[in-house]
This record gives sequence, structure tokens and C-alpha cells, in this order.
Amino acid sequence: MTNTVIAGYVRSPFHFAGKGALAHVRPDDLAAQVIRGLLEKTKVNPAEIEDIVLGCAFPEGEQGLNVARLVGLLADLPISVGGMTVNRFCGSSMSAIHIAHGQIQIGAGDAFICAGLESMSRVPMGGYNPLPNPELAARSKAYISMGETAENVARQYQITRAEQEAFAVESQKKAAVAQASGKLADEIIPIATKAGLVAEDGTLRPDTSAEGLAGLNPAFATDGTVTAGTSSPLTDGASAVLVTSEAFAKSHGLQILAKIRSVAVSGCAPEVMGLGPIEASQKALKRAGIGVGDLDVVEVNEAFASQAIACIRDLGLKPDTINIDGGAIAIGHPLGATGARIVGKAAALLGRQGGRYALATQCIGGGQGIATVLERA
Amino acid sequence: MAEAINKVCVIGAGVMGAGIAAQAANAGVPVLLLDIVPKEGADRDAIAKGAVARMLKTEPAPFMSKAAARLIESGNIDDHLERVAECDWIVEAVVERPDVKQALYARLETLKRPGAAVSSNTSTIPLAKLIEGRSDQFKRDFLITHFFNPPRYMRLIEIVTGPATDAGVAAKVEDFVDRMMGKRIVRAKDTPGFIANRIGVYWLSTAVNAAMDQGLSVEEADQIGGRPMGVPKTGIFGLIDLVGLDLMPLLNASLSATLPKDDPFFGTLRPAPLVEKMIAEGYTGRKGKGGFYRLDKRPDGSRAKLAIDLSSGEYRPERKPPPLPEGADRDLSALISAPGKTGAYAWAILGPVLSYAANLAGVADDIVVAIDDAMKLGYNWRYGPFELIDRLGPGKFAERLRTEGRPVPAILETAGDRPFYQVVDGKRRHLTIDGEYAEVVRREGVLLLEDVKLASEPLTKTASAALWDVGDGVVCLEFIGKMNALDDQVLATIQKGVALVKERYKALVIYNEADNFSAGANLGLAMFAVNIAAWSEIEKLVAGGQQAYKALKYAPFPVVGAPSGMALGGGCEILLHCDAVQAHAETYMGLVECGVGLVPGWGGNGELLDRLGKAPRAPKGPMPAVAKAFELISTAQVAKSAAEAREMGYLRPTDAITMNRDRLLADAKAKALALVEGYAPPEKPVFQLPGASGRAALANAVHDFGLRGLATPYDVVVSARLAEVLTGGEADLVDTVTEDDLLRLERREFLAAVKDARTQARVEHMLETGKPLRN
Repeated sequence: MTNTVIAGYVRSPFHFAGKGALAHVRPDDLAAQVIRGLLEKTKVNPAEIEDIVLGCAFPEGEQGLNVARLVGLLADLPISVGGMTVNRFCGSSMSAIHIAHGQIQIGAGDAFICAGLESMSRVPMGGYNPLPNPELAARSKAYISMGETAENVARQYQITRAEQEAFAVESQKKAAVAQASGKLADEIIPIATKAGLVAEDGTLRPDTSAEGLAGLNPAFATDGTVTAGTSSPLTDGASAVLVTSEAFAKSHGLQILAKIRSVAVSGCAPEVMGLGPIEASQKALKRAGIGVGDLDVVEVNEAFASQAIACIRDLGLKPDTINIDGGAIAIGHPLGATGARIVGKAAALLGRQGGRYALATQCIGGGQGIATVLERA
Repeated sequence: MAEAINKVCVIGAGVMGAGIAAQAANAGVPVLLLDIVPKEGADRDAIAKGAVARMLKTEPAPFMSKAAARLIESGNIDDHLERVAECDWIVEAVVERPDVKQALYARLETLKRPGAAVSSNTSTIPLAKLIEGRSDQFKRDFLITHFFNPPRYMRLIEIVTGPATDAGVAAKVEDFVDRMMGKRIVRAKDTPGFIANRIGVYWLSTAVNAAMDQGLSVEEADQIGGRPMGVPKTGIFGLIDLVGLDLMPLLNASLSATLPKDDPFFGTLRPAPLVEKMIAEGYTGRKGKGGFYRLDKRPDGSRAKLAIDLSSGEYRPERKPPPLPEGADRDLSALISAPGKTGAYAWAILGPVLSYAANLAGVADDIVVAIDDAMKLGYNWRYGPFELIDRLGPGKFAERLRTEGRPVPAILETAGDRPFYQVVDGKRRHLTIDGEYAEVVRREGVLLLEDVKLASEPLTKTASAALWDVGDGVVCLEFIGKMNALDDQVLATIQKGVALVKERYKALVIYNEADNFSAGANLGLAMFAVNIAAWSEIEKLVAGGQQAYKALKYAPFPVVGAPSGMALGGGCEILLHCDAVQAHAETYMGLVECGVGLVPGWGGNGELLDRLGKAPRAPKGPMPAVAKAFELISTAQVAKSAAEAREMGYLRPTDAITMNRDRLLADAKAKALALVEGYAPPEKPVFQLPGASGRAALANAVHDFGLRGLATPYDVVVSARLAEVLTGGEADLVDTVTEDDLLRLERREFLAAVKDARTQARVEHMLETGKPLRN
């Protein structure tokens, strides 16, 4: 069997939607700059790239049509490089990696750019024309809002507001330390904007304290426990990883960050979509033939503190392995871009931390989970 | 027309300077706002920047739109003063100290362009003093522009020019403050306190002193000294609470320093231990912990209103005094001759205050009109001092002064039994100091319906609406009912107007000069019909409104709506049907029907959908316009300015805004006449609406609002009715929905809503309390 490897990871800085430094940047331009950055960093020959597989949760407007193809043209990739847009909501760009992995396995190419983008400033969450199926809407929670699912999970798992806030403070603290020590800068491609170069995340709130968070009003329900401070913010950003066969990486002198050991997706009830990572991770771990105890690095996406805590608890993850440089509550969650970020991050952390196995997993609106198990090269 | 002002510099970012800067920005002109460099901190522009940031959070808002705020550039006078060279008008609003102002002018003199105007917002320092030591060029460019607080909302400006002021420079500034900043100009002479503050301070002091002397409670004083005299309902003490108790000693001090020592003002000065104590303890009025009145939170969250006892200085629950004697609440003569403390107190105010005002001959040309305008626009009096004297009868007023052995002002002697105002040949005239009558002159380009009404008879008139010929082939539809409520008589007048204009005129303007354009349909009348279950009558009223509004829309002549103040519900819907709107900048539009459990029933849904769908840069597809209209209507959003109404989509980009209330009718008329040539009524719109799928999306949003406590259980029901209309009912995405289909849906859902007891509870609550019921 051919091994699939992660041979490079970059992302744009992440900024708050609406008021952040990337609000005036088109998402396709943003992704094109990130992909150029990936090519420069990895030194891969663009002519040898088979395809761009690009995840986006609301592929319409400026990130509509087949935006993957358009990004390839914007980034001045050779005309021969293909482009495919993938939508699995928040799991989109992790799916992009899984697709590339599959293509490599069936001999349909050796090198893929797997990317993700989302401008939550410029394309609203839910899209411009939400048109639910009335019959499905009446009999299921398929269209439930994300905030309400976070409340449901908090209630079902009896996760108190204080626990969620402690988790958020921790996430902010880890991200602040990582930023201060230059560990985030390593992965960031500075983005050219009309107002100048943007090189740092604008989402971090390093002075977050438990007391400060305790003063916020519930964001989604008057009697709820979830606040803006314990939710990931609406974010603009893009990410990209280089996925190749092991043979290709070696013959081209690419730096291999990690091998993909297994992948999985799994459905769950839409009203508790935040629990999706549990089963998906269990499936992926089983496919990799390892247990939770074997994991040295875990990236579990923090859509909300409540669902992240629930997943950590049910999976029995070791605290010191989790989101070592902070998670989405601090760094942000540009929906379609998060999957590639956390897979790339997990791969990079394996190299930095030592250790053998890593897990990247996330929940997905509508009720799904997705997971990827990596092994240090 | 005078040379234009394209950039303004305001120096001094205090409350007044910042407010003036905001109003200039509201006019769409870039503004450089400068203040001193702060003693501490790294940002040398922090004071001006802070003022802009504070104004963005102030209510009522100094800015008419966020775009206006972006027109202000903040700086400081150490680093940026030379940039006054970019500006056509420099407004100085720094601390009221002659030495500080003079030093600033000395610097400005060398930096500004010759011919660029400089004006001071001083309220007390004489112009002659301000320009001491300046060059001739500077003196030519200098004048006083005295704005009132808050500059966006107070319509008065007092302008003082000196003997050296260049007429062209003054005209340039006057033109700008009139047309662009929307102010009515009162030209005052260079006398202390000018007009409004001089009379206003004397009035408030006299009234406070008299209340204490005569042992009145603050509630009694405000009952007598408020509404019956045409003073805002706050009355005397309520008004002082509003402007701030601490302002009074400051105004007293500055007037004391500048008024001649024999001025009666000095007779009002006396020690005020109570007020001093209140200020010291932070009871500075509404901006502080409270003032003469105070609102306390009860343990259950409700509010208790307390009033201070003027003799003990202790707060006690507010005590509503018994009603005034019959007639005294309406008739000013009855008020001052009423028995007991009512008449005594009223006379203790009006006698001295009206005399004081009448004695101010020489503070302005056209003294009568200038003084009345100053008090009406600067202190929100309904009638000016001379109009009040006319209501008492100038002869009778003088007679009473004489009987009491008080001096009679010269102008009253001149007037004798003659009124200060009279109407001859349809023109309003005022008495001059010489004892002659002169025509009341409006500024060039000002057209007031008030004047039209003096000069002509209505074309038709009912209790609720009238039609007027406003010249050049234009008819004006005026609402005249209580609160300008809309009813079947208004609808009949609309139909009559459409027929009349079609036959004999060129265009129709919908305009009135009440405080509010219209707060919508007459809910009281509707409730009466509901109570007797006259559903067919209600249905007829709804259909009649739809027909009348569509008759306006499809009439073979242009129709221009010209609102000022509130235009809500049916009052907003009629504007949505006009070919164009010429809105006063202070227009507050919104479809607020859901607040009382109804849905718009007079065509507002379709009109809003149509214009939101055609808005430039609107995303494609069946939902964006529906979702936006749903958001605006279901949450009863009211624009807080015409600029905001444009941002929200109630006004189109082609609709225009008039800053000066006095120019609204003339502008609307011009807009209507400009549309006459080659006019064709609009095509009927057709809609592609999402039907049940769209409703499912809107229901999701309402569900989330409910979770967040932003939608009550009945809001969910009401918004479902609204969604039914906006999504086109049974329509499917590929169907075409006509305007008539939407009107039918609108009628159906309106009727369903009005029959619902929960809607009726909301309407009754609104009629009784003026506040929405959140059931």
C-alpha cells in the first residue's frame, strides 16, 4: 500500500468577520495567496500538482461557482492543475484531504493541494438564500442553529458555564503563549490587503479571564450557559496543506510532516452535532489499530467549549495532548478552512513535540463528525 | 448663491464643538475636528477622537448615519492647526475665555486662507471683544454662530456679525447653516447672551424663584408653567433637570459678567442653597443622579418617580396636582386670572418674563419675529413671547402692568391695543419698533404651508385631511387629524385629490407641518369596529387603504412624499407608494404594525419587497429581499434619520433629503415638478417568492430569537402571519406572484391578526399606555 503524507501546511492569519483586517479581502484572493505561500514554502513544482481540492461551507457569491478552479487560476498555477470544491460544512477541508488520500490510493495522482476558505464577512453563514425543505424542517432538527446545539450538548452532559469558561480561558492562554513564542507565525502566510500586509492573527484575546467571561450574557438562550466567550468567533481565513504520496515526497525532497494512518466520518443527531467527533474518532482510531492512549497530539476543533469538553470527556483524551497551541475559541473558525488547519497543525505538532500518533477531529453542522489519524514520519 | 463651503474645521471637541462637527458631517461635508493635546497618553489626537467615539454611543444620536461619523477627521491644534488652510469655514468652540479665544485667533490669522470664514460659538462674549487686535482681513472674515444644544436637534442658530464683517462671508456661512445644517437663522445684535439664553435664563430663574416664594410644589409649578403656556411638557423644573442644574450657575455667572447692572436679570439672583446642595451631591439632573425629579428602581424592577420638596430638600413620591380650573389649561387669560395659586403663579412668570422680552428692543432687527423664533426654536416654546402677549391681548397685558404699578415696555405702549401679528391679504405681518406693520419675510426659497393657509382656502377639507393649491400646478395633501392619524376620511381625500390633480393640476405633494408626518392608522377607530365585531367595516378600511395608496402610485402624475418626524405604519406605507420621497433629515420611518400584533395592510409589504429586491448590490435569489423585509417589519425597526431610512431600504437612492425643515415643501414641490415632463406611472411589479421553503427559513430565525428572549410567544404567531405574506403564501419558487396577489394575502393576514384577542390586547395597551404590550 502507498502511504499518503502531509508535506506542508500553511494558513492565512485569522481575523474576526465584519470588523477584522481581512473583511475587505475576497475569499478567493485570500486562498490564492495562501496557496502561493504553500508552494513557496514547500518548493514543490506546481506543474506536478494533480488537483486543488478546496473546502468551503457556503460556496456562493465570491466563494461560489467552482471556487477551487478559480483560486488555481488566481494563484497562477499551471493551467494543467485541476480544481474541485468540496462542501461538508465545517468538515469541508478535512474532507478535501481525505479525498486526496483516496485519489492517491487509487493511483489517480501523486500530489494534491488540499485547501479551505471561508469569508464569514462576505458570505453570510446560512448563505443568501436559505430555503429549507419545509417537510424535513417540520419533522427533524436538520436546520437547527449551531448555538442551540451547543446549549443542548451542555445540558445533556451537564457541563456548567464555569467549566466552559475555564476551558475558553485555557484555550486563549495556550494560543497567546504560542503567538508570543512565534509558533503561530511559522504557519502563517502574510496576506496583502489594501490597508497593508496582515501577518498576525487578529482573533486572540490574551487577557481573557474567568471573571471577564462570567460577565457576558448568554448568546443563544436566555437561560443558557453558552456565551460569545465560550464559542468560536465568526472568522475570515484560509488554509492549505500539501498532500502527496510518500514516494513523491521522498523523490522530490519534500519535508514529510506526517503520514495519514486512517480517516473516518460518521453521522449523529443534528441537535447535538457537537458530539460528532466522538464516534468519528473512535472509528478512525480503530481503523488505525490504536487506542486513545497512543495519541500524543490531538486537535479537536472548538466550535464551542461545551461540545469540545463533551468529546474530550467521552473519548477520554489526555489533557496535555489537546490543542497545544490553542483552539478555535481563541484562533477562530473560518468554517471551510478549519479542517485543513487542524490536520496541518496536528502534523506539524507531531514533529515539534515528538510522539508518534496524532488525531484531528471536528464536529459538523447537521450532525456529523470527521476524524483523521496521523503518524509521525 | 453664495460661495460654497466644502470643508469645515471645528476647534474644540467639547459637547458643543463635537455636536457642531457632527451636524456638518451629517450635511455630507468633511470636517476636521481639533482639540488640545492631552496632558497624558501617547495619542495626541485622543481628545477629538474620544469625542467622536462618545457621540457614536450617545442617545439621541448626534450622527444621522455611520457614514457621517466617517467624515470627521480628528486631530490636535499643536500638530494640525495649519490644516485650517484646507477649510472654508472654521468654527471655534473652545472654552469661554476671551484670552484663550483671542490667542487662538492670532494663530488662525496667519494660517487660514483669506476669505475663509471664522466663527465663534460663544454664548456670551461680545464680538467686539473677540476681534480685538486682529487684522482687517480677519475682522472681515469673522462672525458669531451660536448653536444650541444638541446641535443636531435644536433648530435655532443665532448669528451675530460685526461692523467689519464682510457680507459675502456672512452670506456663505448663513447659506451653509441654513441649507446644509438645517438651522433657522435669527440675526442677533452684539448684546450679552444674545436673545434666547438671555430670555431663557431670566424665565427659568423667575419661575423657580416664584415657585419657592409662593410655596408651590415642583409638580404644581410644572403643571401651571408647562403645557398651558405652550412650554414643553417638562415644565420649568423638568426642563432644568433636562439641561442640567449645574448649567444654571454657569449661565448666571456669564450673564452677570456682561449684562448692564440695571438689567432686571440681577433681580433674579439670590442665594440658592437647595440647588447648590443638589449639585454638590450629584443631583445635576437627568445626566446625574436625578434633579428636581428622580427615578428610583423598586425591588420588583419597576420605577418610582420622586420629586424634591422645595422647602425641606427631601425627596418624596411624586404627587399629581388636581386638574387646573376649567379653561385655565387652554386660555392664557383665564390662566393668569384663575383664583388661588394657579393665577398668581402664572402671572408671576408671564408678567415679568413677557415684559423682559418686550424690553429687549435693539437685540435684533425684526425684533418681534426674531425674539419669537429664538424662544420657539431655542427653548421649544410653542408660542414666542409676542405671540403669548397677543393671546393675552397687548392692551390688557399693558393695563395689568400699569395697574400693578409696573413699568410698561415701550413696544407695548407703541402697540396699544393692536396685536403684534396680523394677517392682511393673506400675508402675516408683524409690528415694528416704529409702530408700523411689516410683512414677515421668509428666507429665499422657503415655502410654508402655514403661509399658504393664510392666503388661501383649501381645495377640499375633512376632519382628517385637506388639499391645498401650493402653486405652479402642485397640490398638497395635508393630514390634519389628531396625531395625523389615517382614517377613511383621509382615504377619501386621497381619492378626491387623485381625481382633482388628474383634471386640473400637474403633481401632488404629501406634506404637513405637524411635529410628526403620521403615526399611522387610527387605531382607536379600528378598536371601536373590533369591539362591535364590524369585521366587514375593517375589511373595507383595509381594502380602501390599499386602493387609495395604489391610486396614488398609478396616478398619471407624479406624487412626492415629504415627511418630517415620525412616519410609522400606514404613514410609512403611503411614502412607499410615492414616486419619490423628499424627506426632512429628521424623518423616522418604519413599519411598526407587528408591535401591535398586526401586519402592514396598506400595501407596505409588496412595496418594501419590491424596493429591497431592486436595491443596488442586493444578492440574487428569492430570499434576500424577503429576509430583509421580514427583519425590518417583524422587529418593527424605525430609522432614526432619513439617512438611516435610506441605509435600511425604506428610502431609495433616488429619494432626496432636505436638512432644513423650512425648505421641505419647496424642495418636494421642485422634485414633483421635475418629474412632470414625460411622466409615466410605474409598471406593476411581479415577484418571485420562495413560498413554504422561505417560511421554514424565517421560522428558524424566529425560533432562535425566541430562545434568546427576543421574541415573545405571540411575536412568533405574528411573524408567522407576516412570513405568510412576504413569502407569497402558497406560491412556489417558479411561480409569478402579482402585486394583487400580495394585496390579497395582506388583507387575509391582517384580518386574521385583528380578530386575534392577543392583537386586540396589544392595541388596547398601546392606546392606553402608549407602550407596546409584550404578550
